[in-house]
Amino acid sequence: MSKTRVAVDVGGTFTDVCVMDEDTGQIKIEKTPSTPDDPMRAIITGIEEADVRLSDVTMFSHGTTVATNALITRKLPRTAMVCTEGFRDVVEIRRSNKEDLWDTYKDVAKPYIPRRDRLTVKERIDAAGKVLVELDEDDARRVAGILKRRGVKAIAVCFINAYVNGKNERRMKEILHEVMPDVHISISSQIMPEIFEHERFSTTMVNAVVSPVVVDYVSRLGDKLSAGGYSRDLLLLHSGGGVMTPASVKDFAARLAGSGIAAGAIASRFIGNLCGYKNSIGFDMGGTSTDVSLAHDGESTVTKDWYIEYGYPIRFPSIEVLTIGAGGGSLAWRDEGGSLRNGPQSAGAYPGPACYSNGNEVATNSDANVVLGRLGTSLAGGDITLDAGLAEKAVRETVAEPFGMELHEAAEAIIHVANANMANAVRLLSIARGHDPRDFALVAFGGAGALHGVAVAKELAIPVVIVPPNPGVTSAMGCLLVDIQHDFSDSFMADAATTRPEDLEAAFEKIEAEALERLQHEDVAPENTVLQRTVEMMYQGQWRSLAVPAPARITSTADLVAGFHNQHEREYNFRREDAPVSVFRVGVKATGVVPKAELPSYDVTHHTPDPSGHRDVWFGGKPLRSNLYERTDLKAGAEFEGPAIVEQVDSTVVVPPKSVATVDKYLNIIIKVKD
Amino acid sequence: MDSVQNQDLDPVTFEVLKNSFITAVDQMAEQMLRTCYSFVIYNRDFSNALHDAEGNCVAQGNADIAVHVGTLHYTCKDVIRVFKGDMHPGDVYAINDPYAGGTHFSDVRLIRPIFDGDTLVGFSQSNGHWSDLGGSVPGSFNVAAHEMFGEAVRITPVRLFHKGKFCSDVANMIAANTRDPGSIIGDIHSQAQATQVAEREVLRLIDKYGRDQVLQGMNEVQDYVERSVRQRISDLPDGTWESVDYIDRDPGAGEGMIPIHIKMTIKGDRITYDFEGSHPTIASIYNSADGATFSAVVAGMKTFFPDLPLNSGFYRMVDIKAPEDSVVSAKWPVAVTGFLMPFEKIMNTIFEMWSKIVPERAIACAFNLEYLLAGGNDLRKPEKPIYMFYEWLPGGWGGRNGKDGSDVTTACFGTGLMSQPSEGNERVNPTRADEFQIMQDSPGPGKWRGGAGVIKASTLLEAENTVISYICDRERAVVWGVEGGLPSMPHGLEIEHSETGEKKWLGSVFSNYKIKSGDRFTRPTAGGGGFGDPLDCDPDQVLEDVIDEYVSVDRAKKDYGVVVKVNDFDVLDIEIDQAATDAARAEIRANRVAWARMDPAEVSRMYKDGEIDELDAVRRYAVILDWGTGELMEISTAQFRETFERRSVAHWN
Repeated sequence: MSKTRVAVDVGGTFTDVCVMDEDTGQIKIEKTPSTPDDPMRAIITGIEEADVRLSDVTMFSHGTTVATNALITRKLPRTAMVCTEGFRDVVEIRRSNKEDLWDTYKDVAKPYIPRRDRLTVKERIDAAGKVLVELDEDDARRVAGILKRRGVKAIAVCFINAYVNGKNERRMKEILHEVMPDVHISISSQIMPEIFEHERFSTTMVNAVVSPVVVDYVSRLGDKLSAGGYSRDLLLLHSGGGVMTPASVKDFAARLAGSGIAAGAIASRFIGNLCGYKNSIGFDMGGTSTDVSLAHDGESTVTKDWYIEYGYPIRFPSIEVLTIGAGGGSLAWRDEGGSLRNGPQSAGAYPGPACYSNGNEVATNSDANVVLGRLGTSLAGGDITLDAGLAEKAVRETVAEPFGMELHEAAEAIIHVANANMANAVRLLSIARGHDPRDFALVAFGGAGALHGVAVAKELAIPVVIVPPNPGVTSAMGCLLVDIQHDFSDSFMADAATTRPEDLEAAFEKIEAEALERLQHEDVAPENTVLQRTVEMMYQGQWRSLAVPAPARITSTADLVAGFHNQHEREYNFRREDAPVSVFRVGVKATGVVPKAELPSYDVTHHTPDPSGHRDVWFGGKPLRSNLYERTDLKAGAEFEGPAIVEQVDSTVVVPPKSVATVDKYLNIIIKVKD
Repeated sequence: MDSVQNQDLDPVTFEVLKNSFITAVDQMAEQMLRTCYSFVIYNRDFSNALHDAEGNCVAQGNADIAVHVGTLHYTCKDVIRVFKGDMHPGDVYAINDPYAGGTHFSDVRLIRPIFDGDTLVGFSQSNGHWSDLGGSVPGSFNVAAHEMFGEAVRITPVRLFHKGKFCSDVANMIAANTRDPGSIIGDIHSQAQATQVAEREVLRLIDKYGRDQVLQGMNEVQDYVERSVRQRISDLPDGTWESVDYIDRDPGAGEGMIPIHIKMTIKGDRITYDFEGSHPTIASIYNSADGATFSAVVAGMKTFFPDLPLNSGFYRMVDIKAPEDSVVSAKWPVAVTGFLMPFEKIMNTIFEMWSKIVPERAIACAFNLEYLLAGGNDLRKPEKPIYMFYEWLPGGWGGRNGKDGSDVTTACFGTGLMSQPSEGNERVNPTRADEFQIMQDSPGPGKWRGGAGVIKASTLLEAENTVISYICDRERAVVWGVEGGLPSMPHGLEIEHSETGEKKWLGSVFSNYKIKSGDRFTRPTAGGGGFGDPLDCDPDQVLEDVIDEYVSVDRAKKDYGVVVKVNDFDVLDIEIDQAATDAARAEIRANRVAWARMDPAEVSRMYKDGEIDELDAVRRYAVILDWGTGELMEISTAQFRETFERRSVAHWN
């Protein structure tokens, strides 16, 4: 049997096992219900159902929600924190702000480690890294003894100014380790050696609390796979969009928080690149929410401002995904001021839209799509039947009558408001960051992405929409398309004018040595190793830095500064050529390239496909006779004009009037958007 | 019912425009956060708005700081008053005038007219708190000022960009009057660009929907909010509610707190706030001009309607009557830079009144905003540069109906404001934090306790010519509880001089106090006031707070009558002594009314003799003292007791 690659994406409802034949590139997907109490069960079931022989598998990659779920549900092992005397409450004081500024009854969640389990020791390092107070070892042993008696499973060691000098933290770790050899210990100077105590402590805290959970899960899954004959490393997708091996998970468990959400963004970027669009916007619309991501020049945008729960930042770089409460099940409603609203409340998976016949009577986006004929009444190959009568009743009663509209006018109004809200979300990720949507392609996926994709693109003047072959399982495919990747950074605070290239080189050498060591540890061959440098800079006096790409050998600081001015102008529309520039941080992205298998491609023969049928679909206030196509009938080279509807098991594609769809050699549908 | 029922836009266009206006303002905020220079702006002391061609507010950012709410339309209208007929595409104006509806001088607003062709269609406004606006104290908070001349630069409307060209003459003149000219020029560019973001969005909407529809949309979103507010107010019973809160003192007069009286009347779908009975302006910067007072009222109300969008439609529904030249209606040139002090009193009083109307959102008093300013020369750096810093702390919010108050949260004047990292401070300024943690026993006791405040102690490192100023209040008008809940604790700063080892209580307001290297300054922030009778608090809840050390063993007994037995703290083996708890609660119940009415002179004596501390004084005896000397504040005590009787004693059974 031929070699295969396996990617597993565990979602809330389904676990998708994606199997790729390494020779042919053929992809097979097995969907099996998730088992939230122990996600591993569904994975093993899925592998069995997909007939995978683990001894034939050359790569097994996995996007997991184990870390994220543990954080959300707070099913966390008892974890303690050891802090500098006087600074026990850094993670509780946070930055003291709230997510909801006006609602006095909504609080920021309490820290993952409660106050009672945050203890202090005598020690102090100053801002320059000088040891003002050596770690008091008697005090340290006293604390270690208490924590042992309390039976904690993990410990975060977080000392003030440890980002400049981690000596006291390291010694504390040694002492704790002597007393409790089996306890996970995370120290802030190793996890995230960056200035600003809350962000560093919080990242370290998250790392500590998820460590026991994640390490246990990964080792059980690893054991199970190797018992089945898999002989390579299990690869785990992290929030930064790469994978890591269990060897790194042991130290950096928190990188797996957000693992699940990155997969869709990676897949979207990949599909965009495959179709020749290095600039793409991922539009993943499901039942209750929509995830929007952006790739520019072939790279996903990355943020260090993110969290699982508000107030507790995780400063590891993460692919930026904006989630908004708009999905197929979002409710349309009239508020007290008489405005037509859409979402964020949702009918959810149950009872779901009115047309699901489960008792919900409020119109949803799906109901409006049914009324307009965009969504057929028989879905998933006939497994699900929608009730058009109930959809009509809901649209009529909740929108048409209150606003004095005709039925179809009301349904179009619902969809229009939903699309405009989603377009606004895309604007915040694109225009607000200096990107012009007209230079992008929209990759529409998820169950509802292709229903709305072209209309949203039109709203934003995006010229092209790409619908991948299996929009409902695109995220799982993302897990197949990854490299091993780690991110390293170090503070480097200096005036750019007096910074010599050799100073920067020295700083890079230090973290690059660390990076190479980590990749070697994961058995990456030198020829597959790629290091990408960035220097973070800002105008002196500014408070946020911009990461500017830096060459592998830095010969001129002035070139970097020129790059900074250009990037500042592109992102923020102004530059201050005469203002002094500061260097803030150096960073390295270390990649161990995993050779990619080719997706299957087909000969392209230009032709007009025969529709499988027709139905009336409403566009712009009129019912238009539209061609229907089965996705499985559409061959490479097929070309047709809207109005048309393409139906497939996991999605429906709407091609509005005048827009032209073609099927490319990978069977993506490429839609040129026309007004 | 009213004229604004007529809506001409179709519902879809209306909803799309409404959300697009808000997105435009949100994009301005993104831009500012990423490009600003002043650390105060970076920590989110800013706001942005879109206005119609008359200057009315169409949309304000939902993440904006509370204190700017309800003021931006005033400054926009003042710019229109000055430049009407002489405005051009590419122009940007600046204003920071509190006497024209602004807040204080530090809040500088940049305003850009938006033109579609030759037609003025609206304005965008970006307001940021600059790090310094000159005047005699670093950071421009001169507590000693009576008039604005000693405070900062007043910017009446000026032109900073003319047809797209930067007016560097005017900008440099403003910057040259500050301690931080480089940052000021940087912030001007950052804010001017933010206003351009909104201009671009409005023009995009006009391109898509046409000018008439967009202008119509600007009107209709205001009508929409007005309609929503009307609806909610008319659903409430008509009636009148009244309360009073205090500023600690008038430094130009004798002892005695400064009342702010509010009478609120709901009639039909309108609401009136009458400040009759509020004190005349005082001889400090703790006065508020009309714009800021209006803002406090709107921000207080918005807290009870958290989901309503902010624009002039909201503002139309509120009428304010304030006596001329009172502490809530100061006129030029009375100093108003410390307007946040009356502001927060108004907000908390509104909390108290609305808590009666909407009990499911009821809340007791929050801690008082405080900030410390320091400036001098940093000797750690060879060129001994001037340094200047300005730091605020979080504290506790009031107990709520059914749950404790929010712990360690930014002051109520702006919950988006972030507190500053100690590591950043130590790097930039010659100070080192020795302690920054939750203040045990700061929460006001109650059935639902107030949130916890913090304590911060810092030591001055190698520096010279350093002076510190402190801007705070509620050293005497101590954070109060409601429904039988108890007060928190007095605000104030203590200094420890390294040479003499002497400790000195400096209180909640002072300026230009000289300190030397090695001196240590410590200040707690109050917790929130308690909600409900602490003797009704579930002892298990108190036990949890003792385990987490929010509440000490001693105060658990004194304030809650809950006696705990510590068997082994290392493993948190602590239990309730039920018999002792029953006895302690009975004793408190039997005596507490008498304690609250005990001769204040006797309480002063007990304090001086070290028999009681300040928590006993305010929580048990309702007495206000000079916390340094123990001298009785007779008038303040009488005022404090009057409110204590009403808010606490009257609810005990």
